[in-house]
Amino acid sequence: MTNIDMNAEAGSTGPNLSYWQLVRRRFFRNAYGVAGLIGCLIVILSAVFSGFIAPYDAETKDRRAIYSPPQGIHIFDQDGNLTRPYVLGFREDMDPNTFEITFVPDPETRSDLALFVSGDEWDFLGMRFSTRLFGTTDGSFFHLLGTDSLGRDVFSRMIEGTRVTLLMGFVVMAAACVIGTVVGVSSGYFGGRFDMLVQRLVEFVKSFPDLPLYLALVAILPRRAEPMMIFIMFAAILVLLRWADLSRELRGKVISIRSMDYVRSAVAVGASDKRIIFRHIVPNTSSHIIVWATYQLPEVILLESFLSFLGVGVQAPMVSWGTMLNQVRDFQSFAAAPWLMAPVGMIVLSVLAFNAFGDGMRDAMDPYSND
Amino acid sequence: MTNPLLKIENVEVSFRTVTGTVKAVRGVSYEVAKGETLAVVGESGSGKSVTARAIMSMLAENAQVGSQTKIWFDGEDISNFSDLQMQSIRGNRISMIFQEPLTSLNPIYKVGEQVAEIIQTHRPMSKKAARQEVLQLFKEVQLPNPEARLDQYPHEMSGGQRQRVMIAMALANKPDLLIADEPTTALDVTVQAEILSLLKDLQKSHNMAVVLITHDLTVVEKTSDHVVVMRYGEVVERGSTKDVFENPQHPYTQHLLASEPKGRPDDLVPNAAPLMQAQDMRIAFTLAEGGFFSRKYTELVAVNNISATIRAGETLGIVGESGSGKTTLGMAMVRLMDPQQGEITFAGSRIDHLSRQEMRPYRPRIQVVFQDPFSSLNPRMIIRQILEEGLIVNGIGASAQDRDEMIKKALDDVQMPHDAMQRFPHEFSGGQRQRLAIARALVLRPEFILLDEPTSALDLSIQAQIIDLLRDLRHKHNLSYMFISHDLKVVKALCHNVIVMQHGNVIETGPTSQVLEAPQTYYTRRLVNAAFNVLA
Repeated sequence: MTNIDMNAEAGSTGPNLSYWQLVRRRFFRNAYGVAGLIGCLIVILSAVFSGFIAPYDAETKDRRAIYSPPQGIHIFDQDGNLTRPYVLGFREDMDPNTFEITFVPDPETRSDLALFVSGDEWDFLGMRFSTRLFGTTDGSFFHLLGTDSLGRDVFSRMIEGTRVTLLMGFVVMAAACVIGTVVGVSSGYFGGRFDMLVQRLVEFVKSFPDLPLYLALVAILPRRAEPMMIFIMFAAILVLLRWADLSRELRGKVISIRSMDYVRSAVAVGASDKRIIFRHIVPNTSSHIIVWATYQLPEVILLESFLSFLGVGVQAPMVSWGTMLNQVRDFQSFAAAPWLMAPVGMIVLSVLAFNAFGDGMRDAMDPYSND
Repeated sequence: MTNPLLKIENVEVSFRTVTGTVKAVRGVSYEVAKGETLAVVGESGSGKSVTARAIMSMLAENAQVGSQTKIWFDGEDISNFSDLQMQSIRGNRISMIFQEPLTSLNPIYKVGEQVAEIIQTHRPMSKKAARQEVLQLFKEVQLPNPEARLDQYPHEMSGGQRQRVMIAMALANKPDLLIADEPTTALDVTVQAEILSLLKDLQKSHNMAVVLITHDLTVVEKTSDHVVVMRYGEVVERGSTKDVFENPQHPYTQHLLASEPKGRPDDLVPNAAPLMQAQDMRIAFTLAEGGFFSRKYTELVAVNNISATIRAGETLGIVGESGSGKTTLGMAMVRLMDPQQGEITFAGSRIDHLSRQEMRPYRPRIQVVFQDPFSSLNPRMIIRQILEEGLIVNGIGASAQDRDEMIKKALDDVQMPHDAMQRFPHEFSGGQRQRLAIARALVLRPEFILLDEPTSALDLSIQAQIIDLLRDLRHKHNLSYMFISHDLKVVKALCHNVIVMQHGNVIETGPTSQVLEAPQTYYTRRLVNAAFNVLA
């Protein structure tokens, strides 16, 4: 036997890194992607721990502060000395001519802020807590981003709304992923007449105009339907219209993987279709599915807020970013209380973050890049 | 060599990768004079192509060229030339031919236009004049029927013809230096011989300097004046071709020279029973041609009434150019493809009518090793999972420990370390991967293995090792092989009997020594000449 060590190529063996280790390394070298990941984590964590982060319940009303503007946090007292953070209460002034009510900060009513104060109770995983991340020491109300027409804290509702919006995003993404993968993989793998029928179905779904379908939903559903029921129906329609793209992309990919030698050698050792699909084909399409999913999430978030803003999507009393924006649909309330637009900031932040994260993942998972 | 045309000194190239910086080329120097051929030899990963790309400044984006690098072309230092300056040199005074003729031509332009574009970029002239010049070039590279070729698209031509177009493109502006990067590796042996003779003739008539990059030592010996041997990005030996081949100094060069496939198949057991038999096999594909209204269906007969018998312990070689139907025949015999007609008998039982389900009891006994080790191992599985799959599917081995033992034995058989089990395919080189693919077949203790060009994707020195390995394994486990190949050197070293195929038909058949030493037909003679003498 010749000496194997002599081979130039024997030395070219790479370091012992699995595919996912390589992906992780490539991902963390991309600052934009990492920034996206941090943004995603902020959004997701605020959804999961909304009870802790938001100072008040979504339904807690401060009846003495209707349309009250945001209260700035001060760290210098009136003499200009550094002090613990505090907020100032408002004094209502009425313009004698226009009868317009304006809020003026009142130096007399100072409330100090503190971390980990006790406030409204919140539930997490069946346990009940009453500690909130921050609040006033004396238990009086303060509104970081002002209040709405019923005196509810905008900041608290915005954090609370993250839950419904993200839940919608994840539910739609996950269901569309599952359906799209099952349909796409089976259609590509089995081929033939089955593939032909499935692809015509995909084309039918893709040719559907979606906006009329959402509007039709309002017409179909009874006036007094449960908000949860509407939420589920709404998600179902989104799923119905979104799995088709993924299934078509995967079908093409599966057709090319199906003829790879490693699939043929699995046939040669006697592997069943089930084994080939789950051990060989699906793992090799996973990067595509993951990247598709990360791009899908921001799209669903945008669509949810757009439709809820129109009053078609999520219904009150469920709080989502879209339903919050629904309150400012007339110009008067927009002019009087622009802070009600705050959820737009969260939408922009989360869409940018998930898109950046998706870009980073796509670059990191590209099997051909090694730079 | 008083006045070299190209002289490179201390070329260093490194690549930034996720896993750190890789030094691909470290301090390579060589020179080539007008009218001379320099061969750069080395195995894959030795940095020979990267060096050539550095000369053309056509490196990938993550590449860095060392500060000591000096490249003189015709007395000028071009290592610091801007892209614009390089553009006037590339394709004009230095041209390059690439390995893969399938991808180096643009599929949506006619080949005549593609060659004319090169001419017009560097020498403004009318379309008509350029077309005339292209026609002249096509005649020069001996393209059959050159007028008709001008208006053809790349897909209408064979691999060899496309490589001739590439050469015409490279010669379009009468370059002083031609860099040929493995110009024949992707081609059939017979075509390879023709292309190499053409290059040699053209070099003489144009008085060009040629840098020929290759891993094939037979090619080097027949075509070059000087040779540079590279390994791990360094030059290990240089000199005139004659000196290096007669008296190699460096152990690596000696190793390369000693690694031509050699040896003979061991003797057959007389009167062994037939193990695998195929009778009157016929496989045809239906091709659709023409538009929607003028659709015509033609039948392409890939395998035309072929019978083959492999006795226990025998190695049968199937030889032919690409497109001769040899792989189709092999795949049909192991039932990875369905024959239209014919009887297949394995160890006394008919298997040609069995469904995929009914074939499963036979699968462990009949195994396959594919041509391309890069696509035959699932990139998402570790080696243990890959080797274990056949055992799990067929219910072999009582426990995970049992199976581990079997896998370790198979790894020993192919001389791979046990720690390979925990690693992914991408961590191994081509030769190592092919060993693992063989281990996957062996772990099931088969009686028959179909080897579909298992060595053609590998470097020559590794080919020889795989051939030796296969021969040893055949003896050790009493296997029978069907060996598909276009390389007669390999067939000579491994096969007892051989079937020569062309266009789906058997041209010649018989014991290997008889067929190779006294070929009866012109086709076989051409194959033999191309393999052993690099002659067209």
